[in-house]
Amino acid sequence: MSMIQFIAARLTKAVFVLIAILILNFCLIHAAPGDPAAVMAGEAGATDELFLQQLREQFGLDQPFHVQLWIYLSDVIQLDLGYSYRQQMPVADLILERLPATLLLTGAAFVISLLFGITAGVLSAANVGRWKDTLISILALIFYATPLFWVAIMAVLLFSVTLGWLPGFGYETVGSTYTGLRRALDIGAHLILPAVTLGLFFTAVYARMTRASMLEVSEMDFVKTARAKGLPRRTIQRRHILRNALLPIVTLAGLQAGQLVGGAVLTETVFAWPGIGRLMFEALAQRDYNLLLGIFFVSASMVILFNLVTDILYRVIDPRIAS
Amino acid sequence: MKRLVLAFSALAMVAGGAVAEPVSGGRANVVIQPEPPSLMLGLVQNGPTQMVAGNIYESLLRYDHDLNPMPSLAKSWSVSEDGKTYTFTLQDGVKWHDGTAFSAADVVFTADVFLRETHARLRASLKHVESITAPDDSTVVFQLKNPFGPFIGIFEAGTMPIVPKHIYEGTDYKKNPANNTPIGTGPFKFADWVKGSHILLTKNEAYWDEGKPYLDEIYWHVIPDANSRAVAFETGKVDVLPGGSIENFDVERISNLPNTCVTDKGWEYFGPHAFLWLNNRQGPTANKQFRQALMYAIDRNFAKEVLWNGLGNLASGPVSSSTKFYSNDVTQYDYNPDKARELVKASGYDGTPVRLLPMPYGETWLRWGEAVKQNLQEAGIKVESVATDVAGWNQKLSEWDYDIAFTYLYQYGDPALGVARTYVSTNIAKGSPWNNVGGYESTEVDNLFGEAALAVTAEERQALYNKVQSKLVDDVPVAWLLELGFPTIHRCNVKSLVNTAIGVNDGFKDAYIEK
Amino acid sequence: MKDFWTKYSRNIGGVAGIVILAIVLVVAIGAPLLFPDSPWKMVQRPFLPPMAVDGMLLGTDTLGRNVAAGVAHGARVSLLIGLISTVVALAIGIPIGATAGYFGGIVDDALMRFTEFFQTVPNFALAIVLVAIFQPSIYSIVGAISIVSWPPVARLVRGEVLSLRKREYVEAAILAGQSNSKIILTQILPNAMSPIIVLGSLMVATAILLESSLSFLGLGDPNVISWGYMIGAGRTVIRQAWWISFFPGIAILLTVLALNLIGEGLNDALNPRLARKS
Repeated sequence: MSMIQFIAARLTKAVFVLIAILILNFCLIHAAPGDPAAVMAGEAGATDELFLQQLREQFGLDQPFHVQLWIYLSDVIQLDLGYSYRQQMPVADLILERLPATLLLTGAAFVISLLFGITAGVLSAANVGRWKDTLISILALIFYATPLFWVAIMAVLLFSVTLGWLPGFGYETVGSTYTGLRRALDIGAHLILPAVTLGLFFTAVYARMTRASMLEVSEMDFVKTARAKGLPRRTIQRRHILRNALLPIVTLAGLQAGQLVGGAVLTETVFAWPGIGRLMFEALAQRDYNLLLGIFFVSASMVILFNLVTDILYRVIDPRIAS
Repeated sequence: MKRLVLAFSALAMVAGGAVAEPVSGGRANVVIQPEPPSLMLGLVQNGPTQMVAGNIYESLLRYDHDLNPMPSLAKSWSVSEDGKTYTFTLQDGVKWHDGTAFSAADVVFTADVFLRETHARLRASLKHVESITAPDDSTVVFQLKNPFGPFIGIFEAGTMPIVPKHIYEGTDYKKNPANNTPIGTGPFKFADWVKGSHILLTKNEAYWDEGKPYLDEIYWHVIPDANSRAVAFETGKVDVLPGGSIENFDVERISNLPNTCVTDKGWEYFGPHAFLWLNNRQGPTANKQFRQALMYAIDRNFAKEVLWNGLGNLASGPVSSSTKFYSNDVTQYDYNPDKARELVKASGYDGTPVRLLPMPYGETWLRWGEAVKQNLQEAGIKVESVATDVAGWNQKLSEWDYDIAFTYLYQYGDPALGVARTYVSTNIAKGSPWNNVGGYESTEVDNLFGEAALAVTAEERQALYNKVQSKLVDDVPVAWLLELGFPTIHRCNVKSLVNTAIGVNDGFKDAYIEK
Repeated sequence: MKDFWTKYSRNIGGVAGIVILAIVLVVAIGAPLLFPDSPWKMVQRPFLPPMAVDGMLLGTDTLGRNVAAGVAHGARVSLLIGLISTVVALAIGIPIGATAGYFGGIVDDALMRFTEFFQTVPNFALAIVLVAIFQPSIYSIVGAISIVSWPPVARLVRGEVLSLRKREYVEAAILAGQSNSKIILTQILPNAMSPIIVLGSLMVATAILLESSLSFLGLGDPNVISWGYMIGAGRTVIRQAWWISFFPGIAILLTVLALNLIGEGLNDALNPRLARKS
């Protein structure tokens, strides 16, 4: 199968998976108690039948369930994600507005965890049984076992409140008029705490995985051969072991990248990061059906996209898979 | 808690004797929570919308802390002897933010056409109105079908925000693109809104009340996490924390920061009244003795001191002490677990668990739910907590699917506007969590509320409301908890912030920042 | 068995994990004896620091409840939720994975599409939605955790079954005319147990973390005290009273750590192929 055929087949499949996900979520969210009209009426603190009826008509909630589903699906197929009841904006605009913040946060966390995780893992594997290995393994285990939100709160307490080194919340200094580099630095400063917090867990995962994977590969015959040939230790580690040990890490990275959007809910909540994880949580509480479905649509698309990229990478790294 | 109370009284003195000359300029950084769905106050009247848009839109009147009317868009007003004709004379030289002249026609359009269609709460009051007319450009006359005592109290910005006729007449109000850039007559103009981040209002240079406002701009910060909101105040990013924007547990700590002032004034118009809905239709709560037992079982002082920073008052009955026609001449229920246990037994309670619905409005309310559950269990009542989010809570109440449920309601200054709705039998209907959800029915109470709303003189009304309060407190249709006190926390150099019965909601008109 | 213990006890971490978990279990089982009062009972002044008053070893919380009692009783709930959701997830994942791996072809294809589908929906987001929709209770939480955590089980079991299916003794059983279900249950699964047990011990840890995250967002069962709930409730006052969320946080950390250590120990003992060099 050629690469193009492969990609085409995968994309066709993806369309069906996406539609199935939308239908599932549509049913789920409509099964939830209450509807957006009731929530909005509730927020107004007073309501009467007329008001509710007006809202339901406005949102199309007075239609039978299957009609609503059909209308929604046919809109989505034309790439129209609909209108957010609560925010009074097109869903696509809302998501596009929030997506960069989430991508920045999770992208940074992704890079941090890959960088630190693999380095730690390699270091650990190279020093098996010695104190460096023990220290790294223990730290990795602890990060792996700590609740994320707990670390987040502690980090704010220490670095923001007590030490005052870093801003504890938000995307940039509120009310600032920074532009260009100054603004980038400002956003960067705000990014550090949430990105590191979010990255900690995966740093631990990568460190453990890299270590295990490297140790496993180092037992394999071709490594033994290389050793027998008398190649320098470092060369063996880099060329032979790490390269082959990377395969499972690529899989995991693909998986992590896919979960980036959905996994940021907690971090975004604690750090008041204006991303789509938080938007999702709000949309859920407000029964903002279209918005919630739109976010699921986008994050599921990301998962599919990253899985595809992973598979392509796999085929590039290890051509045997293609055949 | 003592220290905090002292801080309040000290502040009251300062506020009372504010002699300093206001200075112009500066920006107020304020927390807004949650982010409002829209700033078009004529369409959306929830708390955050009113808090921001109360500076963009105005109504005919404002109200002082004792709920006496003050001029706003109306410079004077008169009520006829028979209580049926209300005549307002409007301010001169008022302009909409887009430069168009404001006139009586806008008021007539707003009250008679626009809000009748969009404003559920006002619609109920407008039922008493025969006609709304504008004899000339600066006079508006409301002709009532019958006297309606609370009528003078409905001209508050959130109840009757005046909207521009030239923008909305003949359009589909909800879809009008102007909703995104609201145009009002108020002291501040809409400038910018970055969703999820901030809303910016700038000074209305052409404001009719000359010299005002003093501030150049108001920056409303959207910060979704209570802890972050507290940090924002500590680190100096925001200067004002309106009531309810930080967790109650943080209030004392934040209040003790340097240059920090606190006031619990500015809620008199709303009179937030916390109580437990009791399902009068079925289960143990259908029994009057059981309901009375609840009043004795719940330790309300504990809730006030531990959960509400000692702010607010124990609610003595259906009417808040800040609302008109309050009466304290009613049966008093003190915390008395022994008496509660006796009454529970006497009611023939058989040990079926009662379902308790806490309010999904943040940590304080959840903790309160846990404390009340514990109180009830100590009185020998089995309790099962039901967790819900706001939508689920709304639905369970609307469908009467509960035994005991937390809530709090605004009273809007007058029992006819915000109290009667909870108790009259004509207001029992599924589908809304804001009507008589408990299902209490009493012809006597119905009649008393009916007569009191239509009585002409204040004395007549007071007499009728005294009767109804004493009757309700004996029947315990709901279990009253607290008159909630919400602290507005601000830097002490932000002056003159809370001047009216709706506090921060229209407070920035007079506010200034001392250098 | 003896052989297994000898191997397992060579792993210091694994032994430490067992010891910690044993302590947690003792506390969980002994909670009603250690703290006979309900952990919800308001017994002292609020915000008492640890050891400030006799009998309040870990201090009191925002309402004056005994934090130590909460941690002890919370152990029961956290462990129970972790354990039951893992069992449920295994009960979903093993049959699906085994069926897919054993029968192959179109059955495999269909089941794996189904599994992939669940992996495509963002995990934590789906859990949040499920709990919010069915309203927070022990059942909805266990259900949501199981639903998001079974796919890896299915994939693992499928892989194991695929490789075991080609073994001679399985082929022999097929030739002998044994029924498919009998072959899967008696010949294949017992031999695939080691990796499943390892995965299971790690899943309990993940489930406990998931439950605490849900509670942190306010999606816990209000009728039972759990560590996640305690942190969520203590979070708002963390600066006045660090101890309220600190101790349950430590409890989670230790329990999850112990389970991970045990998982690693089991892995080393059961899969010598992957055993560490040390």
